[in-house]
Formats: sequence, C-alpha cells, structure tokens
Amino acid sequence: MLGVISLLAIISAIPIFAIIINIYSEGLKYVSLSFLIDFPPPPISGGAGGIGPALVGSLILIGLATVIGGAIGFFTGLYLSEYSHTKLAQYTQMFLQIMVEFPTIIIGLFAYSVLVAPLKRFNAFAGAFALSIVIIPYIALNVREAYKSIPYTLKEAAFSLGLSYPKVYLRVLLSTAKRGVLTALLIGMAKAGGETAPLLLTILGTTFTYFEGLDQPINAIPLLIYNFALSPYERWHQVAWGASAVLLTIILTIFIISRLVVKEVKI
Amino acid sequence: MSLVEISNLNAWYGDKHVLKNINLEIPRNIIFAIMGPSGCGKSTLLRAMNRLLELNPNAKVSGQVKIDGIDVYSDKIDITWVRRQFGMVFQIPNPFPHLSIYDNVAIGPRMNGLVKNKSELDQLVKWALEKAYLWDEVKNDLKKPASMLSGGQQQRLCIARALALKPKIILMDEPTANLDPVAASKIEELMLELKEDYTIVIVTHNPQQAARVSDYVAFLYMGELIEVGETSQVFTRPVHKLTERYVVGKIG
Amino acid sequence: MKSGKIFQISLILFIVTTLTIVVGIVISLINSSYPIFLRHGFGFISRSVWNPIEEDYGILPPLLGTLITSAIAISIATPLAISLAIFASEIIPSRLRSFVNNVSDLMASLPSVIYGLWGLYVLAPILHKYVMLPLHNYLGFIPLFSVKPTPTNLFTAGVLLSIMIIPFASSIIREAYTAIPYNLKEAAYSLGMTRWEVVKTMLGYIRSAIFAGVFLALGRAMGETMAVAMVVGNIMNIPKSIFDMGYTISSLIANQFPNAEAYKYMVPALYGGALILFTVGLIINLIGLHLVRRVMVKS
Repeated sequence: MLGVISLLAIISAIPIFAIIINIYSEGLKYVSLSFLIDFPPPPISGGAGGIGPALVGSLILIGLATVIGGAIGFFTGLYLSEYSHTKLAQYTQMFLQIMVEFPTIIIGLFAYSVLVAPLKRFNAFAGAFALSIVIIPYIALNVREAYKSIPYTLKEAAFSLGLSYPKVYLRVLLSTAKRGVLTALLIGMAKAGGETAPLLLTILGTTFTYFEGLDQPINAIPLLIYNFALSPYERWHQVAWGASAVLLTIILTIFIISRLVVKEVKI
Repeated sequence: MSLVEISNLNAWYGDKHVLKNINLEIPRNIIFAIMGPSGCGKSTLLRAMNRLLELNPNAKVSGQVKIDGIDVYSDKIDITWVRRQFGMVFQIPNPFPHLSIYDNVAIGPRMNGLVKNKSELDQLVKWALEKAYLWDEVKNDLKKPASMLSGGQQQRLCIARALALKPKIILMDEPTANLDPVAASKIEELMLELKEDYTIVIVTHNPQQAARVSDYVAFLYMGELIEVGETSQVFTRPVHKLTERYVVGKIG
Repeated sequence: MKSGKIFQISLILFIVTTLTIVVGIVISLINSSYPIFLRHGFGFISRSVWNPIEEDYGILPPLLGTLITSAIAISIATPLAISLAIFASEIIPSRLRSFVNNVSDLMASLPSVIYGLWGLYVLAPILHKYVMLPLHNYLGFIPLFSVKPTPTNLFTAGVLLSIMIIPFASSIIREAYTAIPYNLKEAAYSLGMTRWEVVKTMLGYIRSAIFAGVFLALGRAMGETMAVAMVVGNIMNIPKSIFDMGYTISSLIANQFPNAEAYKYMVPALYGGALILFTVGLIINLIGLHLVRRVMVKS
C-alpha cells in the first residue's frame, strides 16, 4: 500500500519536471540576446522577432507593483504582527487570508472599473495597481510571520535603549526580520511577474511600442504568452515558447534565491 | 523458565552507549519495577523489549530478549507479532483522540484480525474496559471521543487498549507520572489486580512507588544494571552502595 | 507613550488602505453587475445564452463548467495530494525531505500561463490520444463519456487544474502530518500495527487538515483563470459529458472581456459572473479557513 502511495506521489511530481523540460526544449532555441530586445515578428513572414517591449513592460510593472504592493503589504503586515490583539488586526488578517487565494481575474475587474473605465483607456498604471493588490495579502501575511517570530526579549532590549517606535521596528527589528521580509518581497515579485489575469483587463498588451507612459497601454511577458499561444499563427506560437522559457528562468531564479535566503536563517 | 530472559543487551543512540550489558530475568505474574534516576536508560530498556526502540533511526541494539524461550530479535520473527506480545502504556496517556472510547480499545484487535465478528469485538471491548476498571464509568458513552475523558480515565483507557490484544506482558513507562495522586493510586490498585493474570514491568523514577507495588525491582544507573532482586530485600538490605543511596534519596 | 500612538496610527493608515481595497472590490462588483440582474433576474443564472446582439445573457454553462472542472480537479488531486504529503513526511528519508518540499513549493509558484501553454500543446494532445479517445470508444455508452472528445475540453481543464492545486492541498496536509505528536505514533506501533496501518490511523487523526487542504484547493481551482482559458475550449453550451468543450466563469471573463465594451450589457454580465464566482469562492475559502483554524487549535 505504501508502494501505491509512493507511486501516486511520484506521478504528482512528474508534471513539474515535464513542464520544465518541455518548455526549455521547445523554447530555449528561440532565445537569444536579440530575442530579448527585438519587437515581435509579424504573424507570417519576417525575421525572428523578439519580446523586447513585453520584457520591458514586465520589468516596469513588476517594479511598480513591488514598490506599491510591497510598501502597503509591509506596513500592513507590521501592524498585524505588533497589534495582533486588536479586533482590527484580526478581521484584517482574516480578509487577507481569504484574498491570498482569490481569483485574480476579479482583481483585474476591480482595477478596470477604477482605473481603466474612467480614463477610457487601457493603461500601464492600472496593471501595476492590479498586480500590487494581488501581492499585498501575500506580503502582509509573510511580514507578519517574520516579525512575530522575533523573540520578545529582543524587542524589550531595543526599547530599553530608549529608541523611538519607528527606530525600533524599522531599524533594529527589521534587521532581525530582514530575511523573512526579503523572502516575502521576492515571492511577491515572482507572483507579480507571473500573473496574467489582472493584466488582461488593464493593460491591453500592445506589442509594437516600448514604454509610452504610465497612462498608456503596455505589454507584459505572461500576457504575450497568452495572446500568442492562442493565436492561429505558428510564428507566434514559437515566440510564446521562447517567452515562456524566459519567464520560467526568471521565476526559477527568484525561487532559488528565496530558498537560499531562507536557508541562511536556519543557521 | 522465566517469562522474559534478557541476555547481554546493549543499546546505542548514535555513539552514546545507553544500555550496557544488561542481563535480567523476569518471572511470571509479578510486578517487576525498573527504577533509577533520569537518563539512566530505563525507558530505553523497556522499548528494547518490545522493539519500539527501532523506530529511532539512530538506535542500535545487540543482545537477546527471549519471551518464553523465543528471541524477539531473531530474524525469523515478525516484528509486529513481537509488539503484540507486549501491551504498552506510556507516560503521557495517549489514546487516539479522534477515535471513540470503543474504537480506541477495538482498533488493535480489529487491525490485527483477532476477532471474527462484531459481537465478539463488543465482548472483547467490554472485557478489556472492565479489567481496566473503566467499564462502569464509560459504558453509556462508548461512542464519545476519547479526548473527553480525564487524565486518569485516559490512562485506564490506554491500559484497556493494551489488554485487548491479550498480551503476555504489560510494559508501563512511568504510567502515573502525569496523573494526580488519586488517579495514580487507582492505577496502582489496578496493577495489583492485573498481576494475577499478567506480568507487569513498570518503569518508575519514584523509588517509593517501586517499593509500594513491585515484587521484584531492578536498579539501573547510567545504563548499567546495578542491582536486582526481591523488592523487600533490595529496599531493606541493598547489596550495592549506589542502590542504598538511591533508595534513600541521595541520588536521582 | 505618545510615539507609540503615532506609530500605531500611521500603521493603521495602511490597514485602512488594505481594507478599502477589499471593500472596494466588493462594491465595484455589485455596482458594475446589478444592471444584468435587473435585466434578467434569476434567468441570468438559469439559462444558457450569449447573444450580444440582443443583449441576452445567461451564464448557466460557465457556472456548470466551473463546477465540473473543479469536481474533476478535486477528485484527482485529493488522493494525489494526500499521497504526496505522506510520501514527503513519512516515506522519504529525511535528507531528501526538503528537496521534495521545494519541488512541491515550486509547483505552486509556477505562473498560470506556463501551465496553460504546456497544457494546450503537451497535455491536451496526450490526454486526447491516450485517455479520452479510448474512454469514449470503449465506455462511450456511459453518459459521462458520451461526447466525442476534442483535445481542449472540460476534462483537460479539470486534469490541468488538478495538477495545479495538488501542491496547495499537499502542503497543508504535510504540515499537519509532521506536527502529529510522536507519542501517538508510538502508541500505534506498540499495538503491533504495520507502517501502513499506523499511517492510516494518523490520517484519521488529521482528517480535518485533509478537509481544510481540499477546501482551500477547491477555492483555488474555481478561481483559476488563465490555464483554464487556454484549454477548456471556450464554447457556450450546456455540457452533457466531461468531454464537452465549455466555459468556466473565469475563462468566460477572460475570453469575452476584450469585446465586451462594445455592448451595453456584456460588461455587467461579466461582472455578474464575477460576483457569483466571488461569492462561491468566499464561502469555500471561509469554510477552508475555519477548518484550518480547527487544526491549529487542536495542536
């Protein structure tokens, strides 16, 4: 019976290896420096093309979302940790736990109604806004854990030095919690980089221009993969595979870095 | 032949030599106490008997433990059979909290295929609970979860659970250490009852308890068997100086 | 402690921001969707129609599609997640444990579109050739398998979803399993149980964690959008078998939103679907969280 269980367990692990192998074997061959910089190719003819605008778009959106979502998430998490006895903290924590696994398409709809409909235009900022909402619950809950695990005696020691509240929490205690906070931010970045649904309804995904402004449409790698994979053009399918290889590499890199950061904590 | 014959038993946790050349015989239908200060190896000795020690990947055992002449460490023996020859009661009462009182007693016989039908099982459960002095208190609540019992009742439930397998020997690892005095004395009374039909080996860190309940006692110190003999003898005229100091309370 | 109060209040500003967003989401969903409920009433949920010209919308197919794909996903994922959790905490030697856990966590971090791309071009053809066609050809008399399968359909979406949610359920179950007091395992062994019997008994002990993991995974499956949108077929019809193409609520929104603005009631219709999805997802997640809390209290 334990053999059956082991077999089932291995079966459930097969897909991830298959995915990584398939994506690299199918997509890596299209990736080159020019692939990362060039504009996408026309559907049928033309040269190799690339994902330049989408890559730049992703970097901008990830950066913006991490800054906004990271800031809100961090301070929210800090409150949840240090004032966890208040009703406000308890309810907020419950809401955040629900929102962590929320269908992100709903967040995209929210960003649409708040930032796209009024402006009557798809825009980059709406995408960044949506992404930051996606990652706030995750960052807040993890920052809460990071601060909650700081031994009480350290807090006492910091205050006994006569430091003000901001100095205690943001200088002294942060350096103790920094690995947990860093991990939270890294995973937040990975989520922001991989999410598509929030972008579907907010940024339009223009393929032929680089950054035009936050109030203008923009593209991002996951959105490009989605659009190109579903298109009827073989050329664009190839770009989608290449883009997936790039995205997978980014996600794997962030994942490995975050594991290494955590590992140091254990020592 | 004694019921249990332990010869040249050694045990290690990694490099630490925790049982040093134990040689011991346990007669039938008595209460045999193993006493000694914390860390002397008494719990290890108990677990070496029913081969529970091997659950720890760092543990190594050498030597023989014979039950009615059969060495439990022999390669030909099924380890689950060995464990069923012993009934074990632990220091912290550990009934399965998600199972009812009935199911806690029934699970051993059920899983081991010891009964043929429900009515046999019902009888077995009733018998075990009666023997453990628990039947009257729980007979109307058999379906209720075990977690709602008090500490002393949980420990008696664990005794019933062990009895249901009709073991030859009952191993008790500091069974009253976590109970209040009233519950503890109930368990001690129960032990004295049970020794009519079973052999009981009890580990205790309390020499007074050993003096109260046991017929034979072994004194373990730092993994070595210092002295063993009839309780009255060991407590009034101990042979070894160390034993005397322990019994008086100077060590442990 | 004046500095303390100022600090607390400035932190509360961020909490308020977060809560405003949460409340804002609910309000915008209701606000943007009520036109469709006013227009169709209950018919919005009970009928199957998507007629932009006549502005007639009924989302029964996506509703059913969400339920069917989630049901398929949970049926496949539950035994696999439990197996993975036991494998990771009981069977595998402790040196390899963190590797297995990392693989499981990596599975959970992978972007949805990557699952979707792989699902569309690798999984779907394989399922079609080796699973769906044989099932349809030999067991087609069973209503479940009666429709001739295409590679992208509800079944493929369900299988892909199951792959995606296994790590979620598995990590909850795994944490609960490793937290079982050693005391209880010892008791089980002392009764002469074999290793599998001990595992079986311990699984009974953590059954509320198993339910919690399954519920939270279910919530995730219902809300998953991109991967499903790429493999479900996106056809508006009432499914008669699991091999039918279909929609889920989230894939409907993803698929139809780009052209929704041209029509007066399509946007509210899509928001209406989102509101239903939100409500169902909320209930499921609340149950799941409640179960998780029960697990915490017990330990």
